[in-house]
Amino acid sequence: MASAEIAAEHERILREIESTDTNCIGPTLRSVYDGQEHGLFMEKLEGRIRNHDREIEKMCNHHFQGFVDSITELLKVRGEAQKLKGQVTETNQKLQNDGKELLTSMNELRQCRVQQRNIATTIDKLTHCLPVLEMYSKLQEQMRAKRYYPALRTLEQLEESCLPQAGSYRFCTIMAENIPRLRTHIRDVSMSDLKDFLESIRKHSDKIGETAMKQAQVQIARDNAVTSQQRSASGRRIRKEGYGSTEVDRTGNNPFSEQDSGILDVDDEQEEEVPGAHDLVDFSPVYRCLHIYTVLGARDTFENYYRKQRRKQARLVLQPHSNMHETLEGYRRYFNQIVGFFVVEDHILHTTQGLVNRAYVEELWELALSKTIAALRTHSSYCTDPDLVLDLKNLIVLFADTLQGYGFPVNQLFDMLLEMRDQYGEILLKKWSQSFRQILDQDNYSPIPVVSPEEYQRITGQFPFQDPELDKMPFPKKLPFSEFVPKVYSQLKEFIYACLKYSEDLHLSSTEIDDMIRKSTNLLLTRTLSHCLQYAIKKKNVGLAELVQIIINTTHLEQSCHYLEEFISNITNVPPDTINATKLYGTSTFKDARHAAEEEIYTNLNQKIDQFLQLADYDWTAAQGGGQASDYLSDLIAFLCSTFAVFTHLPGKVAQTACMSACKHLSTSLLQLLLEADVRQVSMGALQQFNVDVKECERFARAGPVPGFQGDTLLLAFIDLRQLLDLFTQWDWSTYLADYGRPTCKYLRVNPHTALALLEKMKDTSRKNNMFAQFRKNERDKQKLIDTVVKQLRNLIASNQA
Amino acid sequence: MAKQYDVLFRLLLLGDSGVGKTCLLCRFTDNEFHPSHISTIGVDFKMKTLEIDGIKVRIQIWDTAGQERYQTITKQYYRRAQGIFLVYDITSERSFQHIMKWASDVDEYAPEKVQKILVGNKSDEQEKRQVATEQGDKLAKAYGMDFFETSAFTNHNITESFTRLAELVLQANKKDLDLLGGSLNDELNLADLEEQEGLCNVSDDTRKSCWC
Repeated sequence: MASAEIAAEHERILREIESTDTNCIGPTLRSVYDGQEHGLFMEKLEGRIRNHDREIEKMCNHHFQGFVDSITELLKVRGEAQKLKGQVTETNQKLQNDGKELLTSMNELRQCRVQQRNIATTIDKLTHCLPVLEMYSKLQEQMRAKRYYPALRTLEQLEESCLPQAGSYRFCTIMAENIPRLRTHIRDVSMSDLKDFLESIRKHSDKIGETAMKQAQVQIARDNAVTSQQRSASGRRIRKEGYGSTEVDRTGNNPFSEQDSGILDVDDEQEEEVPGAHDLVDFSPVYRCLHIYTVLGARDTFENYYRKQRRKQARLVLQPHSNMHETLEGYRRYFNQIVGFFVVEDHILHTTQGLVNRAYVEELWELALSKTIAALRTHSSYCTDPDLVLDLKNLIVLFADTLQGYGFPVNQLFDMLLEMRDQYGEILLKKWSQSFRQILDQDNYSPIPVVSPEEYQRITGQFPFQDPELDKMPFPKKLPFSEFVPKVYSQLKEFIYACLKYSEDLHLSSTEIDDMIRKSTNLLLTRTLSHCLQYAIKKKNVGLAELVQIIINTTHLEQSCHYLEEFISNITNVPPDTINATKLYGTSTFKDARHAAEEEIYTNLNQKIDQFLQLADYDWTAAQGGGQASDYLSDLIAFLCSTFAVFTHLPGKVAQTACMSACKHLSTSLLQLLLEADVRQVSMGALQQFNVDVKECERFARAGPVPGFQGDTLLLAFIDLRQLLDLFTQWDWSTYLADYGRPTCKYLRVNPHTALALLEKMKDTSRKNNMFAQFRKNERDKQKLIDTVVKQLRNLIASNQA
Repeated sequence: MAKQYDVLFRLLLLGDSGVGKTCLLCRFTDNEFHPSHISTIGVDFKMKTLEIDGIKVRIQIWDTAGQERYQTITKQYYRRAQGIFLVYDITSERSFQHIMKWASDVDEYAPEKVQKILVGNKSDEQEKRQVATEQGDKLAKAYGMDFFETSAFTNHNITESFTRLAELVLQANKKDLDLLGGSLNDELNLADLEEQEGLCNVSDDTRKSCWC
C-alpha cells in the first residue's frame, strides 16, 4: 500500500519535472528530499532516461538520408547566399548614399509638423487661459490702487465666468483658493477705512459743529439785516452743490480752529463764505464701504455696525465734561460736538441709500435732545454768574436755530430756555441783592452835597428828581436824598435791561416780554430790595441818622416808580395802559420800608428812654421832695431836646409821631416805676419829687420840641400822670369819689385800681411808724383817713364791677 | 428800684468829625466794629457797667457829632460830664491841630474838676500816619492828661483807655468822699454825694437861660 503511493508520487514528480520550468524545479526537488525515498526515485529516474535514449536513436536512424540531402542543399545555398549578401550590401550602401538628403529633409519636415501641432495646441490652451490671467492681473492692479469696489466686481467675474472656462490648471486652483481670502481682505480693509472715517468725524465733530453754528449765525445776521424789525430768526442751512471729497487738514491747521469763532458777536460778524461740513470731512470711505458690503451681501452687518458705532459716539458726544458749567467755552465745545454729530448724520441720510433712515436719525435726536436738556439743566443750575447764563442762553438759541435749520425739532430747547429764565431771574435777584446791600452799607445816610451845575445835572440825570425851588438855589446846595437813591434807581434800570437781554431771540411777543419784565421787577422790588431795606433798618446799632435818611430816601424812590413804569414801556414798546398788563408794586415796598423805619425810630427812642429810666434813683421814703428835677430826668429831657432839634429835615408827621410816641412811652414808664411791686412804700415826699419830674416832662411837651402840634396836644401824653398826682398831692378824694363816672369829673383819667394801689403803698408807710402812733395824734388821724379812703375806693370798685 | 451798680459816671467823647468816636464807643460797649461812613447827628449815648477796685461803676458815654453845625447842641452836655475823651485821628494832622480848640471848649464849658485823656485813634493805619506818637504824648503832657493811641478796628487800647478815664473819675470822686469823711464802700454816702452834686448843678441851672 505505501509503496504504491510512493510510486504514484514519484510519477507525479517526474511529470512535474518534465513540464515545469527550470526555475521552479527547486521546490519540486525539495519535496523529494522532504520524503525519505530519494534512492528509489533515482532508480525510476534512470529508467526513464534509458527509455528516452532508445527513442532518440530510432528517430535518428529513420531520418539519416533526409539529413544528408539537406546538408548538400545547404552547402549550395551557402554559396549563393554569399553572393546575395555582397549584392545587398552594395545596394544598401548605394541607396544610403543616394537617399541621405531626402532622409534629412523628411526628418526636418516631420519636426516642423510636430512643432506646428504643439504651437496650435498651445495657442488653443492659452486662448482659454488668457481671460483668467487678464482678469487676475486687473484684480491685482485694483487691489494695489485700493479700489476695492471694482476689485470686488472683478473677483465676481473671475469666480463665476473665467475660472470655470479655463479648466483644471494648478494656477487656476490657486486663484480659486485665494478669492475668499481676497474678499476677506477687502472687507477688512474697508472696515478699517470705515473705522478711520468714524474716528475722523468724531475728532472733527466740534469743528463741523462750529462751522455749522457759524453758518447759522451768518444767516441770522443776514436775516436780521433784511428784516431789522423782526425779533426772531431761524437759521437755514447753506448747502453747496455736489459732494466734496476734500481731505481735512489733519495737521490741525484748520483756519477756523485758530481763530476765535466770535460766535456770539453777531454785530461784529463779517459776512464771508463759510465752508460746509462736507468740505471739512471726506465722506468717500463710508460710501465705498457701503458699496463693498452691499456687494459682499453683508449690507445689514454694515448698517448695524455703523449705527451701533454712531450710537456709541452719540453717547460720548452727549456726555458733558464735569466742569462744563465753569466757562462758556465748555458749553460751546459741547454744542459744537452735538451739532457736528448731527450734521454728519444728516449728510449721510441724504447721500446714501438707506444706510441711515429718518426714523433712526430721529431716534438719535430724541436721545440727544433729552440728554442735552438734562445736562443743561444740571450744569446751568451751577451757574451763579448772570452774564454766563445770558451768554449760555444766546449760545443755546444759536444751537437750536442751527439744528432747526437741518430739520431737527427744537421746541423742547426753547421750553427749557423759558425754565432757565426763572433760574436766571433768581441769579439776578441774588446779584442785585448783593448790589443793594453793598449800596446801603456804603451809604453815608446824609443829603448829597452838590457844588457845581455839572454835578447837579449828573445826579438828576441818574435819578428823575424835580424840584423847582431847589433848582433856583445857589451852589453849593444839598439834594434831600442820600447817595443810595440814585444808585438804587440806576440798579433797578440795569436789572430791567438784564431781564430784557434774556428775552431776546426767544421768539416771544412784546407783550410776553413786557409781562415777564414787570413780574421780575416786582420780585426785585417786593422781595429783594424790600429785604435789603428791612435789613438796613433793623440791623444792630442802626442810628437815628440812618433811619431818618431812609425815610426821606424811600419817599423819593416811591415817587420814582412811575418813571420805572415808563422806562419798561419804552424798552418793550408796550403801551402802559395795555389791558391786563402787570403793574409794578414798588410803591408798596417803599411805603413798607418807610413804616418800618418810622417804627424803628420810635423803638430806638423808647429804648434810649428806658436806659435813662434805669438810672432813676428815687428815695421812695424821703420825708421831703427836692425842688429840682432828678438828674436822670434832666439828662433824659436834654437828650430828647437835642434829638428832635436835629430832626428838622424829617417829614413833619414822622417827627410828630416820634415825639408823641416818646412822650407816651415816658409817661407810661414813669407810672410803672411808681407802681412797681418792688416799691413797697411811697412817702408824700417821694411823691412830691416825682411830681417835680413830671412837671419837667410837661414843660418839655409845652415847649413844642417839634413844630406842628396844635395847642396842648402833646401835653395829653402826660395827663394821666398829672391827674393822679394832683389827686394825691391835693388829697382831693371827696371830689374824686363824688364825681366818679361823670363826664365832667376833674379826675376822669384816674383809674380806681391805680389809685387804690398807690394809696396802699402810702398806708404801709404810715404803719411803719406804728409803735409811735399813740404818741402822735396827727399820724393816727392820717391813718384813719387813709383807711377810710381805702374802704371807699374798694366799695367804688366793687360797685362798678357789679 | 434796686440799683445794679454802685455809682454812675458820665463820660463824653469829643473830637473832629470822622476821627472814629462812634467806632470807639461801639468797640468798647458791644465789641463790634462797623466801617461806617455815617456821621453822628446831635448826641447819642451807650451804657456799660465796669468793676473797678471792687466798685460797680455804671458808665454812660455820650457820643457827640463832630460837625460844626451841631456844636450848639453838643456843648450843652459838657457841664454834665465827669470825664472827657479828646479824640484825634493819627492819619489826620488837621484833627490833631483841632485838639487845642476842643480843649479850650472843655475849659470853658465843662466843670473844673472834669477828668480828661487824649486819644489818638486809627493806630492800625501806620502807613498813613501823619501824627507821630511822640507828638501826642507831648501834647498830653502839656495838658496834664493821660495819652493812648487806639484802634477801634483792631481793638487796641480800647478797654485800657475807657477804664483809665473811669478810674480817674473815681479817684476824683473818692477825694470828695474823703472830704466828707465818708467811707469808700459806703453805698449810701455815694448816693448822697450824687444827690448833692445834682443839687449844685441844679443851682447853676437856675442862673442860666433854658438850654433846650
